[in-house]
Amino acid sequence: MDSKAFIRVDGLVKQYGPHRALDGVSFQVAEGHTLALLGPSGCGKTTMLRCIAGLETPDTGVIEIAGRVVFDAARGINLPSEERQLGIVFQSYAVWPHMSVAENVGFPLRVRRVPKAEQQARVARMLEIVGLGAWAEKSATQLSGGQQQRVALARALIHEPRLVLFDEALSNLDAQLREQMRMELKILQDRLGFTAIYVTHDQSEAFGLAERLVVMNRGRVETEGGPRSVFHRPATPFVARFLGLNVLEGEMLGSEGGQAEIRLPQGMRLRGTLGDGTIPARGSKVLACVRKEHVRFGGFGLPAELRASSFLGLTEEYVLDLGGIELRAVQPPTGGAPGDRVQVAIRPEECVVLPAG
Amino acid sequence: MSAAGIGRGLTPSLAEAPSAPRRFLGLQRALPAAGVIAGLLLITGPLLAMLIRSLLVWEGEAGRLSLANFTRVLAEPRVWEAVGNTAICGAGATLLSCTLGFTLAWLVARTDMPGRRWLELGNLVPFFLSPYVGAISWIYLVAPGSGLLQQFAMRHLGLDLGFINIYSLGGVIWVLTLFYTPYVYLFVMSPLKQMDAALEDAARVHGAGFWYTLRHVSIPLVSPALLSGALVVFITSAGLFDVPLALALPSGIPTMPTEIFAAVQYPADFGRAAAFGMMVLGVTILLTLAQRRYLARRRYEIVTGKGYRPRLLPLGRAGRIVALGLEAVYIGGAVLLPMMALVMVSLSRLWTGSFDISRASLANFTYVLFSFRLTQQAILNSLILAVTGATIGVALAVLQAYYLNRGTPARRGLADAVLSLPLGIPGIILGLGFLILAIRTPLYSTLTIVLIAYVARFFPFATRTVSAMFLAINPELEQSARASGASWAQSMRWVLLPLLKPAVIAAWLMLFVIFIRELGATILLYAQGTETISVALVLLADRSAGYVAALAVVQLVLLLLAFTLFRLTRTTVTQS
Repeated sequence: MDSKAFIRVDGLVKQYGPHRALDGVSFQVAEGHTLALLGPSGCGKTTMLRCIAGLETPDTGVIEIAGRVVFDAARGINLPSEERQLGIVFQSYAVWPHMSVAENVGFPLRVRRVPKAEQQARVARMLEIVGLGAWAEKSATQLSGGQQQRVALARALIHEPRLVLFDEALSNLDAQLREQMRMELKILQDRLGFTAIYVTHDQSEAFGLAERLVVMNRGRVETEGGPRSVFHRPATPFVARFLGLNVLEGEMLGSEGGQAEIRLPQGMRLRGTLGDGTIPARGSKVLACVRKEHVRFGGFGLPAELRASSFLGLTEEYVLDLGGIELRAVQPPTGGAPGDRVQVAIRPEECVVLPAG
Repeated sequence: MSAAGIGRGLTPSLAEAPSAPRRFLGLQRALPAAGVIAGLLLITGPLLAMLIRSLLVWEGEAGRLSLANFTRVLAEPRVWEAVGNTAICGAGATLLSCTLGFTLAWLVARTDMPGRRWLELGNLVPFFLSPYVGAISWIYLVAPGSGLLQQFAMRHLGLDLGFINIYSLGGVIWVLTLFYTPYVYLFVMSPLKQMDAALEDAARVHGAGFWYTLRHVSIPLVSPALLSGALVVFITSAGLFDVPLALALPSGIPTMPTEIFAAVQYPADFGRAAAFGMMVLGVTILLTLAQRRYLARRRYEIVTGKGYRPRLLPLGRAGRIVALGLEAVYIGGAVLLPMMALVMVSLSRLWTGSFDISRASLANFTYVLFSFRLTQQAILNSLILAVTGATIGVALAVLQAYYLNRGTPARRGLADAVLSLPLGIPGIILGLGFLILAIRTPLYSTLTIVLIAYVARFFPFATRTVSAMFLAINPELEQSARASGASWAQSMRWVLLPLLKPAVIAAWLMLFVIFIRELGATILLYAQGTETISVALVLLADRSAGYVAALAVVQLVLLLLAFTLFRLTRTTVTQS
């Protein structure tokens, strides 16, 4: 294991009655880095974050922050939230309605008994940074959603924690504001140098913010890696489906030099790149994963019928019938109408072949 | 591996770390759990004492277990008569207060009745008044032959209303109805107000007329609230001691609460009282469980929060007159007429059944407030009990509500069920339990045992109120305080308690009102020197109408004061 890991999570299990929310989760984050915990709702990502924050108590496992064991089931160590020295931004913002903006932001300094004058100076500086300087004395309930978000962010950063947790922190904002906040967050992080963990179900948010991704499914880590590798080479069928790829079932015919040839149920043949190190046996079930953008029209390819289309602006999304299998494509508008017959081409290097199951 | 090395290297520093975090973690669990355990003991203690006493039969010095108390009670015709009368009173009051409560709520919420903003509040005033004082006032108003109303009718309208006898089951039902109408009113008000207009509009658009829509859409949608209100009214009105004491006992009509009271008067028969009490308790618990089951099965999601506010029905001229007439009858009968009668009697040196303004005097007030030891003591005791009781009750309620809303989910259900048990238990039954529990201890005949009984009987009201507020507070508000570095105690002090403040104030004032007027439990537990205002009213009832009325006015002022504060805090809360 990497001894320089800033956060180390090892073998975390959390059971709620019959439901296992975390099923042996392990990962690490280096100091100053940003990790995104990505997955569909109910995959355990929020539980994971709450365990790190000390808001849930796992059943087994170890959590280490900045070289300090904050949780270890075997040794009975479980530091309460306030001892873990972190900041958190909730999806609901959790801005206290009975306090002013400045009181909200100054709270972490108040509980740390920072002198009044210093509190005021630091709050003022932080409010400038998040662009709420003029709002300090306003009641927190008078703010818009985006402004409350900034209050929550300022509150999470004011005591200069080395770790900041974000629980779906941007998902309540409208698209434009979300984009702007994402940029600002990156700049803030470069400036303040904290380590961050984002929980999100939105892949573009995860790709845009994080240096590393952990994709979770049913309480387990499905895959882990940099945004580019997770995006371009989905490691499992779950990841492929979650990222919105077409996943086609097929049968392995043979492989050569990292490329595989498979047969689709209708007898059509397709060439793709083997996704992981293992080579599936001939005749075994495999899955071919193709991004919608990589299903190209024209040329010599597979015969398909256009079923429906929906205009997206620069591109158009098409639903295609490939001999009974549904295939989705996102391509520049062609002007095709439902019922048209088209040829689709899939490049081997843009199709990842994974063993099924 | 190196990570393991890090872990091992860290152990000593952690061992040296202060044990403070562990202690706070303990407080977070221990304090709410202590509140729940205190509540459970307060409820189960007296009930167990009563159960055991009901099964004990004394033979000389030795007691033995037996069902003899039960068979004896069941064999008495008078008991059956009492149970029958109580059932009639409860059913009558339920039927009438449901009709009246629903109608008034509907008028306020869904029609353009003039002055409905004020009337909405006015309809709630009886909720804060004392049923015992209400019953006494109605004696002044329609005492056989000499009541103020009968005299007025005779003199000005030429009507002979002498046949009306307030000392009857009808009188009991009438006064109970006046006091329990606001319960139903409160139960149905919010579904009526918040019902999505689309539900009714859809019926109208698809061809239903106004009355058809009311009968087949609106009332069925409100019916879960109406029925649970009806059950609450039945259980609590049937168990109420105050009104039968004033109106049924004088003419020798037996009822369940007065029979239990009579059984512990000299010569006391605790076995009989306990057996009777256990049977009442059994019926109460069965009814409460039935209500819970019913509610669990049908809870319509009509409170959507979205959609449009329902449209107001224009009443028209005749409709307005009828609506305002009904309001006049209700607020007049429950609030204005009784208050008027009380004031008249309290200002008369000698009450002869008619008021002479030229001879009005404050002598009764001077005597009650400044000269009479009993009433002075009673006012002081009531204030002590109400202030300390409400404070203890609210403190318990906050801890219990925390446990019920933030604690381990698995253990909440049972705790919730047991903690809400007293909501249906008549005060006189719990009072009997505490009497049996305390009679051989130093607590007997102290103010403390009265205080304990008050808290035990009424803390669930406070717990309900505070718990409802918890539902509106996102746990993340406290969690972000913890993550910001606050200990549990700090997060309580700076975040949760300030947010709970409106509910805490409302619950405190509600308990204050209840304790100022409580009679059913007090009447069994008081002793010389620990009388309360309500007990003093009962003790003085045969001696002087003037003193009773003056003391009742003092109590009324305290209750109205609490009501005013209640409104004031409520409005500031909604404004902020």
